[in-house]
Amino acid sequence: MEKKIGVYICSGCGIGDALDVEQLANIAQEEFSVPVCKTHAFLCSAEGVAEIKKDIENEGVNAVVIAACSPRVMHDVFNFDGCVLDRVNIREQVAWCQPPGEEDTQMMAEDYLRMGITKVQAMELPEPYMPEEEMSKDILVVGGGASGLAAAVAAADAGYKVTLVEKEKELGGFFKKVKRAAVPPYKTFVEGYLDELIQKAQSHENITVYTGAKVEKTAGGPGLFDVTISQNGSTVQHRFGAIVLAAGWVPYDPNKLDKKLGYGKYPNVITGVQLEEMLASGKVKKPSDGGDVKNVAFLLCAGSRDPEHLPYCSTVCCIASVKQALELKEADPEANVYVVYKEMRTPGQAEDLYRKAQEAGVIFLRCQDPEVESGATGLIVRGEEDLIGEEVTVEDLDLVVLATGIVPVTAFGEEVNPPQEDEESQEEPAPTDIILKSDVLNLEYRQGPEVPILKYGFPDSHFICFPYESRRTGIYAAGCVRRPMNVSTAVDDGVGAAMKAIQCIELVHKGAAVHPRAGDLSFPEFFMQRCTQCKRCTVECPFGAINEDEKGNPLPNPTRCRRCGVCMGACPERIISFKNYSVGMIGDMVKAINVPDEYEEKPRILVFACENDAYPALDMAGMRRMKYNPWVRVIPLRCLGSMNIIWIADALSSGIDGVLLLGCKYGDDYQCHFIRGSELANIRLGKIKETLDRLVLEAERVRFETVTMSDYAKLPEMLDDFAAKIEEIGPNPYKGF
Amino acid sequence: MSIKVDPGLMKELEVFGLKDAKKCFHCGNCTAVCPLSEGKTPFPRKLMKYLQLGLRDKILKSPEPWLCYYCGTCSEKCPRGADPGEAMMAIRRYLTAQYDWTGFARRFYTSERFEIVAIVIVAILVGIGLLIFNTGNPDWEHARLNSVWPKEKIELADLIMAAVLSFLLLSNAYRCIKFILGDMLWRIPFKYYKAEFKELIVTFLTQKRWSKCEDKMQWFVHLLIMTGYSTAFLLVVGMIRLFQRDDIYPLLHPIRLLGYYSTAAILYGCTYALVGRIRKSKSPYKNSHPTDWMFLILLELTTLTGIFIHFTRLLDWPMATYALYVIHLMVAVPMLVLEVPFAKWAHLAYRPLVLYVMRVKDRYLEAEASEVPTDETESEIKAVT
Repeated sequence: MEKKIGVYICSGCGIGDALDVEQLANIAQEEFSVPVCKTHAFLCSAEGVAEIKKDIENEGVNAVVIAACSPRVMHDVFNFDGCVLDRVNIREQVAWCQPPGEEDTQMMAEDYLRMGITKVQAMELPEPYMPEEEMSKDILVVGGGASGLAAAVAAADAGYKVTLVEKEKELGGFFKKVKRAAVPPYKTFVEGYLDELIQKAQSHENITVYTGAKVEKTAGGPGLFDVTISQNGSTVQHRFGAIVLAAGWVPYDPNKLDKKLGYGKYPNVITGVQLEEMLASGKVKKPSDGGDVKNVAFLLCAGSRDPEHLPYCSTVCCIASVKQALELKEADPEANVYVVYKEMRTPGQAEDLYRKAQEAGVIFLRCQDPEVESGATGLIVRGEEDLIGEEVTVEDLDLVVLATGIVPVTAFGEEVNPPQEDEESQEEPAPTDIILKSDVLNLEYRQGPEVPILKYGFPDSHFICFPYESRRTGIYAAGCVRRPMNVSTAVDDGVGAAMKAIQCIELVHKGAAVHPRAGDLSFPEFFMQRCTQCKRCTVECPFGAINEDEKGNPLPNPTRCRRCGVCMGACPERIISFKNYSVGMIGDMVKAINVPDEYEEKPRILVFACENDAYPALDMAGMRRMKYNPWVRVIPLRCLGSMNIIWIADALSSGIDGVLLLGCKYGDDYQCHFIRGSELANIRLGKIKETLDRLVLEAERVRFETVTMSDYAKLPEMLDDFAAKIEEIGPNPYKGF
Repeated sequence: MSIKVDPGLMKELEVFGLKDAKKCFHCGNCTAVCPLSEGKTPFPRKLMKYLQLGLRDKILKSPEPWLCYYCGTCSEKCPRGADPGEAMMAIRRYLTAQYDWTGFARRFYTSERFEIVAIVIVAILVGIGLLIFNTGNPDWEHARLNSVWPKEKIELADLIMAAVLSFLLLSNAYRCIKFILGDMLWRIPFKYYKAEFKELIVTFLTQKRWSKCEDKMQWFVHLLIMTGYSTAFLLVVGMIRLFQRDDIYPLLHPIRLLGYYSTAAILYGCTYALVGRIRKSKSPYKNSHPTDWMFLILLELTTLTGIFIHFTRLLDWPMATYALYVIHLMVAVPMLVLEVPFAKWAHLAYRPLVLYVMRVKDRYLEAEASEVPTDETESEIKAVT
């Protein structure tokens, strides 16, 4: 595209006080000969924007550089269709964080302007990806339990065609077993809690139900999921736009429990699920001899919150057991019902249920490690009671009920071993996801047949930032397969996942990315002639967007892509680029930085900052008028995982004294929007030593730090500390070459 | 040795006034706000657990119920409405029944009917006794009580009654401290008991620990009733010869003034408590067991009839004086005979005694734990005494 660049410099918000705006305009005009360059005292005002629009219409400007505030604000104001645009942040990251009127401050703004103009020179307008095949807007819901039903009905009500696949003979999931439900606000027990949803799902014109069915195969990606469903020996194939994974859970296998709990040894030790079935049938009898049940003890956390079994809390067992205890008390107020708990977890209104059980006379004991034994007149529960600090026994028990936890169905099956790399090519392979062959979706993805699991077998992504999202674009988890939850939450969860699926379908049909870069129309393009089949891109893509052929050539699925650019950072041949984000573009920006020679004693530090956390943190430091080092030049990256190490070589060989990478926290509580971008960047950094050795440069010139947005106050110190190190090492000998 | 959980105790304690203890979820706020709860003897939360788990033995051995003066702060602060103050009260009633070896207290607490019938029987016996045993020659001209029931005879009856009551109360009190101290009761050398004896007397007379509670009014009202009652008791039992006189003392005579003080103090305190219980004005008054009512009603009636007698004597109405005297004793005697050893009145012995033996025990254990040679400890104790 033939570009006509317009540079617009704002002098409002204190920019004009800190900087010589006219001199800044000279840079654009003299160094870059931009055809249009204007300054304005209030660029985001209606007049300011009108002036830009006028130039776009009358002067033919199609590449706009706005030197004003941070790109994180006013993005709706500075939005011009059909133009490439860059926002040069001279407010938060120059005027507000540097002393006004100083030479260094002016130099910083000038460099940013150079980088911005260079960037728009290299940028192209993205063209949305439109596959040749026809995309579908239908939604597949896997699992006909509470969340699956809710997802199907919500999506169908919104006008989408839904296919609901349930492996059992009838809909309802686990809750089929439950006769009386304890759901908020817990005033009364509710019978037939899911009946209405089941009825709706069965009669809805937009819903096709397959019961006794399973998903044999899932190929393609969002908009293009080709799914094979088998039912009674026959199979059907259908294309879907998105998938809701609501495959549910199973109770923890009581046979795996510690033997001292007595399961399997004493017939009258049963699980909560078994008691639920008894309660539903109306016959609570001793399994041993069918005798009446008068004294019952519930042992909560049976195998839960136990590193040997389920390390997590299943959140529902306390409430369910208290409900069952109350049902027993209601049936027979003279019955002696004991609840032995580790910690009572009845949050929110469920506390009322707990109170009700206490008032009904259920006796609560707090024991961390109870055991069950047999006595002459019934079972005995023995344990150290925390609150009296002594061992107590509950005797003459007819029934001991073990409250076992929730295990997602995705937690089963053997682990997929990712295809091994060639030993020589990679000394440090990228970390890979854990994928279990749980036979739920049977994906045709290079990385494995199921959605990767985050922890404990739950196929979640980032729990707080990205609810419902899995690491497979277009597949949204809901209900107990996502995390343990009660039935009413599962219903809400199903609706939430359905909404995510709809968003995904609509965005994909526009050729746009889904969350977190929702609406981004760019996508990675591969210059295949130079591909060496090294597989870095397929291995490192956090979302399994890239399959490969038998020769190892990448086969991108752009609808699966979330546009993070990790592939671009990974590619040693630098053949992957986006229209508006490429290795060359960033490289040019690095080279656009004016590096003063060493006698000027003005070192330069290049900062690659993740635009999701580190960059906003830098903005925040500016907003709080914190002053930081004037030598830094910040380039925001989509994700630190998109950092290609060639940029570091570019920077150091052009005389820049140090390179600082600011990424997100990684590991167990990672904060990366793209799972492990910063971790990958850090791994790549391990390989930079070679380059530095070749250039005869000190390894300390490159540093990696993790920051969260709330770390803004630590940034000035972090930058100063690095600058001090650079000063100690001395100037980069490549200056001036 | 593990303790067996007994689901029956909570139900059993319902007749003793236990109502909401099952609601307790052991946050411990009650113990935290209690101004009297201390490190080694924390309460009331601990007792709530004993109740819920039915740990009879633990409760029987607990001194804590007697360390609580029931100011009601715990019940006000309880987030669950478990009313720990009332639970402590119910435990005290239960313990009173447990300490009493005759089994009479138990029946007294567990059956309102039994309580009323017992009082009525004693009252009738007193009435019949007074009608049978008298001089047979009353002075119908002037109100002269000694002409009907000479003070020497009354004194004799008083002393017999006091001896019987003391025997019953002290034997129960012995059981109380035996439960609490166990074998230690006899193991602690006498010198420790002696060293702390002053504390027993001070506590008995002042309930000084109660003044630490937030609501000082309770302590003050109790002090009025207690001092008024003690004065009256002294006057009618020990000093009956001085008190039951046919000539009326001059207005400012010490005996007459003492009589007025005790009457006014009891009347004020007792009325305050009765009105409080009727209005449920504060948390210790919210729940009233039948024995609480019975005690206050008898005391109030005794006081009122005593006042009436005083007036009829001043007016010199013989018939009314003699009749009221019979009624006065028909109320006062059952109150003493039944309430002191078997019911609410018994706390006059248990409370100071438990506080006392706990101090003795602490002192003994401290001395045992410290490496200080015994003779030094002895001299220290001597110095204190």
